[in-house]
Amino acid sequence: MILLKLCGLLIVINSLTIGGGFVMLPMLQQEFVEKHHLLTNQEFLDAIAIGQVTPGPLTVMNAVIGYKVSGLAGAILAMVSSYLPCIIIVTIVAKYYYAYRESIIVQSSFRGIKPAVIGLLSAVAISLGNTALVDPLTFGIAIISFTAIVFTKIDPSFVIIGAGILGAVLL
Amino acid sequence: MEDKITVRDIFWKFLKIGSFSFGGVYAMLAFFERELVEKEKWLTHEEFVESVAVGQMTPGAPIVNTGICIGYRLKRLKGALATIAGQSFTGTLLAVLLAVFYVKSRGNALLTSIMKGVGAAVVGLVLSIVYKMSRNTIKDLGAALFALAAFFALSLFRLNPIGLILLSGITGLVVYGRRR
Repeated sequence: MILLKLCGLLIVINSLTIGGGFVMLPMLQQEFVEKHHLLTNQEFLDAIAIGQVTPGPLTVMNAVIGYKVSGLAGAILAMVSSYLPCIIIVTIVAKYYYAYRESIIVQSSFRGIKPAVIGLLSAVAISLGNTALVDPLTFGIAIISFTAIVFTKIDPSFVIIGAGILGAVLL
Repeated sequence: MEDKITVRDIFWKFLKIGSFSFGGVYAMLAFFERELVEKEKWLTHEEFVESVAVGQMTPGAPIVNTGICIGYRLKRLKGALATIAGQSFTGTLLAVLLAVFYVKSRGNALLTSIMKGVGAAVVGLVLSIVYKMSRNTIKDLGAALFALAAFFALSLFRLNPIGLILLSGITGLVVYGRRR
C-alpha cells in the first residue's frame, strides 16, 4: 500500500516538474514531509544533499526517499516511477516537436507555471531554512554556499561536501 | 550510419556521461555535445540543439529528458530506456549506498554534525537556484505576480503545490492563451 502511494505520488510529481529538477522539491516536501509524514524536514534536506553530491540528475534523491520509505524495493520503484512520465512525455514530444513547440496551450500554461514554481521553491527554501539554520554558524554556511554557487563556477557538489567537513569540525 | 549504433553502445555512452556529470547543466550539455556530436557523430548539431530544446520544455530533469530524446531518435523506445539506465546507474547506486549508510548510522554524533553543515549548504543551494531561475524567468510584472501568488499560497495558506502548479498552468492559459 505504501509502495503504491510512493509510486503514484512520484509519477504525478515528476509529470509536473516543469522548469528543472529542483521544481520537484515543493511537491515532494508537501507530500512526503507535511502530509504523509514519511520523512522529517531534516531527512528531506539530507535526501536533497545526497541527490546533489552523487553524479547524474537530482532525481536520484527520489531513490533515497524510496529507500527511507520502504527499503531497496522502494528505491528501485521510486526511480522507475520518477522516469516513467518523462519517457512517455518526451517520446511523444520528440515525435510532434514542432506542433508542441508552437502550441499556444503549452506556451501559455508554461508562462504561468515557470514563475509560479519559483514562488513555491522560495517558500520551500524558507521552510528548510527554519530547520537547518539554527545558529550563526549554519547561517554563515548557507550564505557562503549561496554566494559560492551564484558567483563562482564551483560545482555545488563540492560546496556541499565542504560544508559537511566544516560541520564535522565545527558543529 | 544510425543502423550501426546498438542499444548497448547507447547504454555505455550514457553510463560514461552519467558517471562523470559534474559541473551543472551547461557543463553537462557541453559534455553531451562533445561525446555524441563531435566524437561519435550519432547526431548533427541541429538535432542535438532540438533535443536540448525538447529536454527543456518537458517535465522532469532537462538533462535526463535531453538524453531520452536522443536515445529515442537513435533507437526508439529501447534507445530511450538505455539512456536513462546509463545516465542514472552510477548516481542511483551511490545514492542507495549512501542512504543505507545514512539510515544505519542514524544518531551517530559525527554524522549529525556533518549533516548539520550539509543541510545549511543545501538551503544556500536552493536559494541560489531560486535566484538563477528568477533571473531567467521573472522579466515582467505578470511573471512576478505569478511567483508572489504561488509563494503566499504555499507559505501562508499551505495550499498543495501540485494543485498550485496545475492552477498556475490553467491561469497562464486563461491570461496568455488568447493574446495573438
